Amino acid sequence: MENKNSPLIILLIILLTCAILATSGCSSPEENETDNAVSGMEVTSGLEGASQPEGGSDDNILVLGEMWNIESIDPVNGDGTLICEKAAITETLVGANEDFSLKPGLATSWEQLDENTWEFKLRNNVTFHDGSKMTAKEVKFTLEKVISENSKVASMLKVDSIEVVDNYTLKIKTKEINPILPGVLHYPDTAIISPSSYNEKGEFVKPVGTGPYKFESFDEQTRVLTVVKNENWWGGEVGLDKMILKGISDPNTRAMAIENGDVDFTVDVPYSETDRIDAIDGISVEKYKTPRVYKLDLNLKHEPLEDARVRQAMSYAINRSDIAENVLYNVGEAAAGPFLPTMVWANKSLKPYSQNLEKADELLAAAGWVDTDGDGIRDKDGKPLKFNLLTYSARPGLPPMAEAMAAQLREAGIGIETEVMEMGSIDDRREKGDWDLYLAAYNIAMVPDPEYILTNWYMTNGTDNTPGYSNPKVDALITEARKITDLKERYKKFNEVEAIVYDEQPMIIVAYYGCAIVKKDYVKGYVFDPTAHDYRINADMHIEK
Amino acid sequence: MILTLFAVCALTFFLMNVIPGGTAELVLKHTLVGLEDSVSKEQVNQISSRYNLDDPLYIQFFRWIKEAIVTGDIGTSYVFKKPVLYLLALRLPATIQLAGVSMVIAILAGVSMGIYSALKENRISDHILRIVTLFGVSMPGFWVALLLILIFSLKLKLAPVAGYGSLENLFLPAAALSLHSVAAVMRVTRISMLETLGQEYIRFAKAKGLPLWKIVSRHALKNAMLPVITVIGFQMGSLLGGAVVIEKIFAWPGIGSLLVDSISARDLPVVQGCVLAIVTMFLFVHFLVDMLYTHLDPRIRYG
Repeated sequence: MENKNSPLIILLIILLTCAILATSGCSSPEENETDNAVSGMEVTSGLEGASQPEGGSDDNILVLGEMWNIESIDPVNGDGTLICEKAAITETLVGANEDFSLKPGLATSWEQLDENTWEFKLRNNVTFHDGSKMTAKEVKFTLEKVISENSKVASMLKVDSIEVVDNYTLKIKTKEINPILPGVLHYPDTAIISPSSYNEKGEFVKPVGTGPYKFESFDEQTRVLTVVKNENWWGGEVGLDKMILKGISDPNTRAMAIENGDVDFTVDVPYSETDRIDAIDGISVEKYKTPRVYKLDLNLKHEPLEDARVRQAMSYAINRSDIAENVLYNVGEAAAGPFLPTMVWANKSLKPYSQNLEKADELLAAAGWVDTDGDGIRDKDGKPLKFNLLTYSARPGLPPMAEAMAAQLREAGIGIETEVMEMGSIDDRREKGDWDLYLAAYNIAMVPDPEYILTNWYMTNGTDNTPGYSNPKVDALITEARKITDLKERYKKFNEVEAIVYDEQPMIIVAYYGCAIVKKDYVKGYVFDPTAHDYRINADMHIEK
Repeated sequence: MILTLFAVCALTFFLMNVIPGGTAELVLKHTLVGLEDSVSKEQVNQISSRYNLDDPLYIQFFRWIKEAIVTGDIGTSYVFKKPVLYLLALRLPATIQLAGVSMVIAILAGVSMGIYSALKENRISDHILRIVTLFGVSMPGFWVALLLILIFSLKLKLAPVAGYGSLENLFLPAAALSLHSVAAVMRVTRISMLETLGQEYIRFAKAKGLPLWKIVSRHALKNAMLPVITVIGFQMGSLLGGAVVIEKIFAWPGIGSLLVDSISARDLPVVQGCVLAIVTMFLFVHFLVDMLYTHLDPRIRYG
């Protein structure tokens, strides 16, 4: 083709033609709306816009890359963890120490007057962010609100009535004896808010709490939550002037955001990236254990798994420390039982099962499972020892962990087929009984007390007793312990339960869940709170450059 | 068009009810109870009765349709407890902004590269462009997105990694999202242009001694545009609804991620609302494409 004009000029003309075509033609409505959207944005988010590009380079402002998208800020309706622990706007009546024993929070002390009556003494120097004093009246308001709106908390509190005795004394009557009541009041959804969080019509407006940080703004479009220092915090001096919380749900993006300096603090970058990021100058990664475990439920209704020897053999076949190191990159640790060894009520004599293939072989042979046809999979009466393993991908550690365990179990002659599915499909399969093994990550200290977990997991017909485990001795011990309010005696019974299920392995507890805190070196004063549900921002945090 | 919308709503509604997993249970798991925890019977009953989930499906569906037509209210989210229209109003601007800008990039870059490539048929620059676009259609979006962040944010410090609100935030997601469309548009433009350039009247125009740019812009372009516009229409549709991955990586508050999250939480009203919005926009774009056809080629008439 002949061509006298320079290609550049042609290109330019074509570009122009296209521009005209594009503006006059098919995409014009979109563009107009785009303009509107952009200009609309500037009105609503002038504040974030200004501080965004430099991240936290301003003196004492922290930009936090939160792990979930921030969709709403209603503390009683399921966002309590965000508002209480991550934004530090609200506080709970009861606090918890590192070993999960309880300590005073907004309440200074509590006492069980009789079987069903509790009395709480409140701190008398606490003011809400709206300037009003916190008294028993507001506490009653909050708790009643939570009970009516949040069925989960209501079912744990079992409250019959709440009575204001005087300004700083509150009486709570429960429907039945409930030793975990103070523990439940450590749950972030029960954090105390002022009635001014709602408008006259009773609609939620914003969280007005008592915490070290005050709510400033929440932009529903950009999903950015901004909180500022509470100058009058009862707990003393507050470290940061301002904190900007942005939800970044993709772990890779969180990693790049902190590398780029867009955020100063974030959590749970991809586990495989932790060491690389830690090596970067100015950024440090700290790995902690959180109150959550990776556990494998075994369907005891399926014949081979009914046999405790098969379950023990499986536990011996799994190399937990290998998984913690190579799948979790040490964000997490090999686990012995359902509780962290640092928890005050944990049975500390239990040690994680370590891989022992000879023992596994012995147990399986004793149960009658041997590889007679030489295909590497054990069999008995012509039936191979094969299981399916269900898991889901919402927690990144699960699918690779399932694969690793499948490989380890295969070494012991147990055939495993892993299936990564969506939550709804898993529920469906579990309901139908069409499953053998189910790998999941469970929270173990929603409430800082062993009763909740042990009842739900190991009691006959417990709500989370997926394996269908039933042991009269365990049931009796838990029922007894529930009525004991003396903590030492109570924990002793629970320790026995732990020892029994450690031996019988109706569920294989694989590893403790971990949390990787990633922060810039100039963020000082951070202390990890192991009782927090993901992580907690503490008042001492500040920026020092 | 109304019929299409009705059919889409009905289909979405029944499909959502066919997929495994109880609605009330999953709504609970995504709001109040932890993802893994079991849900108690009372809680399920409470939610079911609050949203009338135990009624037969067709009654639920017609109640929803009636509400929607009579009051214009397409429901309240089970999870966010806010009107669906409000949620859509929050998310749609971001989606339209991203899709619109990506489309403009796709048209500008795609069409100009396509024409250039056609004019240089089988020369080096043509081959290079074709290989680049082959790359464009075959690369997965999330990988390109991460690569763009790596280069433009971490290395060159030109744009923030993620977020929404300012213009700087728009570049990377728009670039990542448009790559596929650029390539698709470019390839169609090139082929269509080559075909047009082979026509008799182009040879005649050349014989007349018209300069090349005039031949291309006056005679060839308009005729070569028909298939290109069809492709643009389809691309626009997929850009509006299919940016889920890009939205997640760039923390972009668009409608795609809302739809996917709502599906896994079985938030039926929101799913319905999102599908309705996406389908409406899609139909609108196709309507525009049809209009453009008649404009470009007066022989096409719609009865």
